[in-house]
Amino acid sequence: MSDSRGMLGLSSADAVAGPASSAPVRGRRPVAAPISKDTELAVEIRQLVDRGDMERARELFGGLVEAHQRRASRIAYQYLRDAAEADEAVQDAFVKVFSHISSYREAWPFEVWFTRILINGCLDRRKARARRERWLVPSGETTAADEFRASVAGPHDQSPEARLLGRERRERIAAAVDRLDGRQRTVFMLCHYGDCTPREVSAMTGLNESTVRVHLFRAARKLRGLLGGKP
Amino acid sequence: MNRAHHLQDERLFDCYLAVRTGESLDPPVAEHLIDCDECGERYAEITRFMEVLSVEAASEADTIFTPERLRAQHQHITRRIEHLGHPARVITFPGPAASHQVVSPATRSSGRWIAAAAAAAGLFIGVGLFLERATTRVAPAPHVRRIARQSLLETPAAVEIARPDAFQIDDAFLSELELAGDRPRTRELLAFDALTPHVREITLR
Repeated sequence: MSDSRGMLGLSSADAVAGPASSAPVRGRRPVAAPISKDTELAVEIRQLVDRGDMERARELFGGLVEAHQRRASRIAYQYLRDAAEADEAVQDAFVKVFSHISSYREAWPFEVWFTRILINGCLDRRKARARRERWLVPSGETTAADEFRASVAGPHDQSPEARLLGRERRERIAAAVDRLDGRQRTVFMLCHYGDCTPREVSAMTGLNESTVRVHLFRAARKLRGLLGGKP
Repeated sequence: MNRAHHLQDERLFDCYLAVRTGESLDPPVAEHLIDCDECGERYAEITRFMEVLSVEAASEADTIFTPERLRAQHQHITRRIEHLGHPARVITFPGPAASHQVVSPATRSSGRWIAAAAAAAGLFIGVGLFLERATTRVAPAPHVRRIARQSLLETPAAVEIARPDAFQIDDAFLSELELAGDRPRTRELLAFDALTPHVREITLR
């Protein structure tokens, strides 16, 4: 399992610092797009924090959390494949964003900045987990819990057989995605699970937009090969 | 672009991405997709495959991250943000443990010496008592035996035997202890003995 952390901006600190404070990296550039509503909100929160109006800043930040938490949870879950860990990763990302909001610059859309922090956190967790699994005997408790949750969850109008088949299909897809090369996986996840455009992924990863498209295509081709043409 | 030249998979994938992100398709490519059934079918297949992947992933995550769970997550985040910048709270232990004074290493070591000295004193007393008992078991001197026999013959009544005073007993006891201390096997205890206050010294004061 290769690590695409380097592609995402070297370190968490760099990701948090944002484009204004980070050194220019070749190929990385801010997205020239109209400022989104969330970006405006983030700027407002930053101003409130700078003024010391923490109460109001927290209140507005709650709105940002609500707007992004579902997408963030989806991304984190696809990265970590563990509900509790994904939950923690999302929480950590939001807390990190709030505590570093003073360093946020609107040169990047808020969602790009936030997603970058989230993915860096997820990659850190994957790395830590790999280290744990190398040295410790896995207990399997979490996996079992998640498996149970996944088996009992799902549309209740489906038959148990349909649910089981759905579960097997999802596991097959997850295993195939996990076999992608680090960069391909990150690009694929951001586009397909995080609903990001290739341009946004380019801003998040520092890759050229055409390179993002190539990675996406190769990821899709490999997945089709692994899944036998149909998921 | 005619039907003889089919679109490559990469081109078809670009079309899929363009549609997904709301971008406009290249007009000749769009035309070809309408005209060429084979390319149209391949395009539909790619689109279907990618859509299924996205939908499956989204539905899987959504079954785990239910609205209740997301609400709880929101609350956790809010709580954690409220505590940002606050220093960590030190929880004091209740009552006696909190008022318990910290004993310095010097006090602790002197305490150990006192305990050792007390143990040594206890040992000496024990040895002394043992020896005293052993001495009393020894047969009395011949003149004592004679007097005792005489008194027994003369009067059957109880006779008050003259006892040595306490000081003498103590003295004998301590000399026995010193003798015991001088023995090769108990030489190791001399250090303890040096720390133990001697009855003789106390009495002389």
